[in-house]
This record gives sequence, structure tokens and C-alpha cells, in this order.
Amino acid sequence: MSLEAKHRIRRIIIPGVLVILGGLILIQFINRPVFANPPVTGDFQAPQDVKAILKRACYDCHSNETNVRWYDRIAPANWKVAEDIKKGREGLNFSSWSALAKPDQAAKLWEAVNQIQAAAMPIKSYQIVHPGTKVSASDLLVLKNYLTEMLNNKPSDTSKTNALDKQYGKWVEGAANAPKINLPVALNGIEFIPDYKNWQVVTTSDRFDNNTMRVIFGNDIAIKAIRENHINPWPNGTIFAKVAWDKLSDKDGNVKTGAFKQVEYMIKDDQKYGSTAGWGFARFKTPKMLPYGKTKLFATECVNCHRPMSKNDFVFTLPVKN
Amino acid sequence: MKAIYIVFPALILLSAACSTQPNGSQLINKDASLPSSFNFSKMGLKVISTAINKKNATMCTLYGNELALKTAIAGNAPQPGEVLAMITWKQKEDEHWFGAKIPGELLSLEIIKTTGGQFENIKANYQRYEGKLLTLSNDTTGNEKSMRYIFAQQPSVMP
Ligand code: HEC
Repeated sequence: MSLEAKHRIRRIIIPGVLVILGGLILIQFINRPVFANPPVTGDFQAPQDVKAILKRACYDCHSNETNVRWYDRIAPANWKVAEDIKKGREGLNFSSWSALAKPDQAAKLWEAVNQIQAAAMPIKSYQIVHPGTKVSASDLLVLKNYLTEMLNNKPSDTSKTNALDKQYGKWVEGAANAPKINLPVALNGIEFIPDYKNWQVVTTSDRFDNNTMRVIFGNDIAIKAIRENHINPWPNGTIFAKVAWDKLSDKDGNVKTGAFKQVEYMIKDDQKYGSTAGWGFARFKTPKMLPYGKTKLFATECVNCHRPMSKNDFVFTLPVKN
Repeated sequence: MKAIYIVFPALILLSAACSTQPNGSQLINKDASLPSSFNFSKMGLKVISTAINKKNATMCTLYGNELALKTAIAGNAPQPGEVLAMITWKQKEDEHWFGAKIPGELLSLEIIKTTGGQFENIKANYQRYEGKLLTLSNDTTGNEKSMRYIFAQQPSVMP
């Protein structure tokens, strides 16, 4: 090694390394997060093999049984881990599972398995450092089989027919009446758009996970974008309306739409809705069109569920041209 | 501490750079799409209802013009001047959502146009287009039954 090179090491590299090390030591004392495990109030119940997978791969961020390793406590990683645990528990917490209504439990599980299938969960950066959280292809199959076995394939009972009949009469009367005034508004300011039923269809969908069926309508901007293949990203002004009904199936397997459940809108405006992935989300439930959500932040839930589609502009729908 | 807002976006950018974003045409459901030359959307029809046949693993959507929709909602007998169209697909798995089936291979498009006078004088013209290219079928067996099925569909509730 030349004398000059030796000099360079001494003059630049060594001080540089010392500064970085010093910095790393210093930040250990800044804003250290406290890792706490609140009590488990109603743990998730499932067959042993299913539970073992979720416990190993998800419980660190989605339960009150977080296993914080020593290396998770080192800054700057500790900030990220603490943030993930906080946000993770907010969206899905297996330790307070029993507080969820049965249909909500099922919905969360299907969502969880879909997040795994899309490689969105467990969070990549976490999985790299914690290889034990990886969900293998055979693990995923165990989870999928568990969900499939829980499906109810029986013909609909009379309560579903009655629910439709009750709605239908009112709707038929209302459909003949004048258009509504004072439209319902979601907490983020999005107003119910009654015109959706005059739009064209983007696709239909048979949601066997939650026994509903859907028509997804698109406004003119959406339909033009589909025609021109300009759908990743979708242009500003695109609006989808996703209408969901109960499935009404007879003993021969003929399924028609039952009671109207909800209509959901996605409105593209990357400025106005920048904080929710460029989309304004709103959901109006039952023919009364009750806006969904308790606070303005309800759309975080929408974004979290749509996040596995971040490469497709957060849209699950695969449009059909017609 | 907001340092995570600097460090982790950098990491995310890195990981995003390693995975590619599909282009628009890759996201179109081509199996289910209608030939553009058919100009179905130019007919300006509205959705009346949608249905699934589990045994055949098919799904269909029924469309109609304003009059057909009105008649169906009112529960009246067919009127002259109605246009009804039913598109049927084989179902396929939704690759973006485990738990959903979406239209797959395009099977048929049936169109009914009513003409003539009221009640028994009404005439219904039925045409059936089949397959990916929607070629007009000359086979008339089963037409009556198909028409009855289409006219019998109850509209889906859309408040
Ligand atoms: C490193 C922590 C971490 C791990 C491990 C992890 N998640 Fe998450 N998860 C999060 C965070 C943080 C969010 C909130 C959204 C985001 O920031 O990506 C989230 C969101 C979710 C959501 C959406 C919740 C909602 O708001 O509706 C689901 C579902 C989910 N995770 C499932 C899983 C599953 C299943 C596993 C295990 C295979 C898993 N996660 C493992 C941190 C984690």
C-alpha cells in the first residue's frame, strides 16, 4: 500500500467511521420506543396448524404477544418496528379477535390470506431480518384450505329471500319517484352518486368469500381509459361504483341477486386524495345509503386492504372491454 | 422521531425498483372482453340484473334499454320497443383476490328486440351470438326457452 493510500485511510475513512459509529450510539438515546404487550383479551382460535402459521408470521405486529428481539431494539430499526406494531395492531389484532363479529372475523381472515398471497404481508423489510416469519407456499395452502372448508355452499335460507322481498317493494316504488335530494355524504366529504346505475360495466364479480355478488360500474372517464388501455395509473376523474348484493341461491345452484348491501366508490384524484393513495374512498350501506366509517380516517382501512395492489394503482378490478 | 420517514422511503424505493409495474393492457381481462368491432357499449344499454349458475360455473349480466328496464322494474308484460341483451361467461378465478370469481371465456351474447302491438300481438326477435368472436348462431333450438329465461329475470335492486 502506498504511503498516500495509508494517509487517506487515516485522514478520511477512520474519522468517517467514527462519526457514523458515534451517530449510531447517539441515536440509541433518542426517542426510544417502549415495547409493551397489553393483555390478550380474546385470542384467535383455529386448528393448530393454521394458528401456528399466523402466530409465527404475523403475531409480532398483529397481536399483543409481540416477540421483540434484541436487534429490534436498536435504533433506527426500533422506530420502524414500533411504528409497524402500532399500525399493525390498529388494523388487525389477533389478541382481541373475539371482539369482532363473526362476519368481520371471516372478512379479516380472507383479507389476511390475500395479503400473504400478494406478498404484501409480512412486511418485506421485517421478513428479511426475521426469516422465521416467512410464509411458504405450503403454509399458504394450509390457510387457503382452512378458509375454503369454512364456506357455506348450501341454498340460501328464507331469511335472505325475505330480506330481498322487503327491499324490493320499496325500491320499485321509489324508482318511479323523483330523484333524491339531500344525498348522503361520507365523513371524507364524498357524496353518494345516484347516477352510477346509468354507467357502463367494468366487470362483475362472484365473491364466494362473503356470499355476495357485485357489479362494478365505471364513469365515462373510466370506460375511455379502459378502451385505450390507460389504466395504470388510472386518469384523474375516474370513478368506480361497486355494488354488492347478497347471493340468493336455489337448490339447483342458480344464483340471483338478493338484498342490496352497499355501493362503494373510488374516485381518482391524485392531488385531492393524495393521502389515501390517490383515491377517494366511500361506502354507503343498505338502501338507506348510510355512510360507512366512524371517523374521517376510515379510508385508512380501505387503503390498507388495497395496498397489495400498489403496483396496479391500488385497483383489484381486472376490466372487461365491451 | 421522524427519521423513519427518511430512511424507510429509501428502502421502499429500493424494493419497488426491483419489481415491475404491469402496463395497462396486461391488466385488461382479455378472455372476457367483447370484440371491439361489436360495439356493444354503443348500444347504450343499462344493467338490469346479474346472475350465476354454479353447476355450469357461468355468470351472466342482463342489460336493457330504458323501456326494458322500466318494464322489468314495474313488473309489466313486455312492451314493443324493448331491447334486452344478456352476456354469459364461463367463470374463472380472480387472480387478484382469492375468494372471488370473475368473467372468464366469453360464451354468448343474446339480444332480444320487441316490436309490434300490445300483448299477444307483440313480436320478439331473438339473436344469439356465440364464442370469443360473437358469431351469429343459426341454430334456433332453445330460443323460446332462452327468451323466457331473459324475460323472467327480476331486476337487481339499485337504489
Ligand atoms: C413487521 C410487522 C408486521 C408483520 C410481521 C405483519 N404485518 Fe400485517 N400489517 C403491518 C402494518 C404496519 C400494517 C398497516 C398497513 C401498512 O403500513 O402496510 C399491516 C396491515 C395488515 C393488514 C390490513 C389490516 C387492515 O387495516 O385492514 C392485514 C390483513 C395484515 N397486515 C395481515 C398480515 C398477516 C396475515 C401477516 C402474517 C403473515 C402480517 N400481516 C404480518 C405490519 C405487519
